[in-house]
Amino acid sequence: MNVRESAARNRVRIGSAIALIVLAVVVTIWADLPLADLFTVGFVSRSLQAATPIALAAIGGLYAEKSGVFNIGLEGFMIFGAVNTAAIMWLLSGGSPTQGDLWLAMLASVLLTLLYTVLFAVLLIRYKADQIVAGLAVWFIGLGFGPFMAVRLWGSRNSPGLEGIDTVTIPVLSEIPVLGSILFDTSPLVWLTGILAVAAWIVLYRTRYGYWLQAAGENPEALDTAGINVTRVRYAAVIFSGAMAGLGGAVLLAHAGSFTGTGDTMVNGRGWIGIVAYLFGNYNPLGAAAAALLFGGLDMLQIQFQTVGIELPNRLVNLFPYLAVIIVLTIWGSTRVPSAVGEPYESEE
Amino acid sequence: MLDATVLQRFAIAMAATALALLIGLVVVAASGYDPVQFLRQLIEGSFGDGNATARTLKFTTLFVLTGVSVAIAFRAGVFNIGVQGQFVVGGFATVLSILWLAPFVPAGPIGGVALMLVGTLAAVVAGGAYAAIPGVLKAYGGANEIITTIMLNFIAVGVVGWLVEGPLRGEGNRAPNTERLPESVSLPQIVYDNPDFSVIGLGVALAVVAVVAVVLTRTGFGYDMVTSGHQESAATYSGVDAKRTIVATMTFSGMIAGVAGAVFAIMIQGYYSDPSGIGTYGFDAIAVSLLAANNPLGVIPAGLLFGGLESAGSYIGISSDVPVQLIDGISGLVVLFVAVPELFRMAAQRTSLGGDSR
Repeated sequence: MNVRESAARNRVRIGSAIALIVLAVVVTIWADLPLADLFTVGFVSRSLQAATPIALAAIGGLYAEKSGVFNIGLEGFMIFGAVNTAAIMWLLSGGSPTQGDLWLAMLASVLLTLLYTVLFAVLLIRYKADQIVAGLAVWFIGLGFGPFMAVRLWGSRNSPGLEGIDTVTIPVLSEIPVLGSILFDTSPLVWLTGILAVAAWIVLYRTRYGYWLQAAGENPEALDTAGINVTRVRYAAVIFSGAMAGLGGAVLLAHAGSFTGTGDTMVNGRGWIGIVAYLFGNYNPLGAAAAALLFGGLDMLQIQFQTVGIELPNRLVNLFPYLAVIIVLTIWGSTRVPSAVGEPYESEE
Repeated sequence: MLDATVLQRFAIAMAATALALLIGLVVVAASGYDPVQFLRQLIEGSFGDGNATARTLKFTTLFVLTGVSVAIAFRAGVFNIGVQGQFVVGGFATVLSILWLAPFVPAGPIGGVALMLVGTLAAVVAGGAYAAIPGVLKAYGGANEIITTIMLNFIAVGVVGWLVEGPLRGEGNRAPNTERLPESVSLPQIVYDNPDFSVIGLGVALAVVAVVAVVLTRTGFGYDMVTSGHQESAATYSGVDAKRTIVATMTFSGMIAGVAGAVFAIMIQGYYSDPSGIGTYGFDAIAVSLLAANNPLGVIPAGLLFGGLESAGSYIGISSDVPVQLIDGISGLVVLFVAVPELFRMAAQRTSLGGDSR
């Protein structure tokens, strides 16, 4: 993209952002929307929880892509993460899981997803698989395997109610008005996600390893010349991305408390939305997390509409995040993709 | 994979399928079922008797059509993952247009044929238009078509699902379905006496394959499409408008997905139900197309294979307690292995079975 095009695109972006804000204001005044009732503390808190799985998958995906490998299998790895957490929790506890079982199951599930991703990374990097097709395959395998596990264990595509994560209330701090109940009376997984996002940002932009990672995607030859093993960096990034998507699935399950395997399973496009979240966040872990929050908020709008009394069919409100993805992608379009993405790298040794 | 010969591709497809089936059998055994019995049921359920064969051919018809739709786009270097959505929108347009026009058309067989033609045309237009959206967004907005088409799948299923639940539910229907199509709108039963399958439907699918093969190999439009898929810069130098080609390719692909939707609506369902409950033909079509190396003619055997798998799946679902979702997993594995031709080439070299052409 040359300078003129990118300047024109920036004008489109700014223009469309202003147009959207104006539209929102007009709709609010015209429909006399009770904004204060719509944007409640509960809504923000629920949105944060809804954003966590998307943010985790997005951070993983952007690491892989920064290193030069497009991991389009995030959605599939999330399904594996969710169903394995449910299954392990069930088997571990013999039917009545506790909080301890849940945490243990999440950990085991992330490790399992990590193992799957090792296989996936070998196919992508060692055997130069078509990244798009192989990623789609992971999704399809997940769509088959998730319900298969559920039917095998519970005789139905959905699990019975298992165990959801308890909120943690920090004394004193949770007394702070508004912020207190959003930040200090919430799921510990929201905190975990926040910490991981900041850590991912620091590693990517403030450590030597982060620079290697970026170089592996931008200019693998230079990195190779500098004596760093490009392949090894890419392996690490892809395996990390799968583990993060698996964690996203596990967190999704921990917030929901049971596995749903009907339709597109409970993951229901969140992995795909994760990809858009990091594009929207311009490959920045914090930006990706913020974009995930936007999608999480859209996801939770339905409950707000109901409490305020706006009559919109559930099935249509559920489509808001998908519509938002299309609008975001169209206006933001192709962000600057790392230049060596999708190309297998072979050292000249 | 472009430099592989037809024979190599065929070998890779066979090896990928065999390996996927093998892993499936291991999973069956590991889950405590009898793999030998599973294999026997797989064969019985796909081609065991006339009934099974008709069921297989019913699925084959859909897989051939949706597979060709995917192949067109892949051939031109565009990823149309939205065939499922275009299939749903197309089939729904068929049912709506037939239901709206039926009162104005005489009830005889001629009226029925006219309605089916109009219904199919509506599906072609609707499917093409729905596919044109991600085409335009990619060509003029730079939006990644893989993601937009997947989002449009979710949107198609959601909107059509909402319509059949509420505003367009047939009067007095307890289930979320539209009204039934009139009696005259159905394909005659020839050869197989199966209410869900007609040889005419399969004939339509094969005719569409022939048309697509001719368009891709014998017309200027097809040439432009395939060259812009393989060598974008060369195509641009020779004066092909890349953006317009992307939109045209997606539209063409969506039109075929629409035909698949029309066949599904007329031949199989006879009404429209919540699309979250119908088969994922548009997704399996990706496996079909890849197995066929995106060759329109190759889609026929690949469609037959997947038709057999799907048919065996529904048989196994009734006659044994092995979860049918296993079949979905197996088709996912086929896609995974087809994506890695290198794996089989290396394996072939190690075992000195050939593959030295690299």
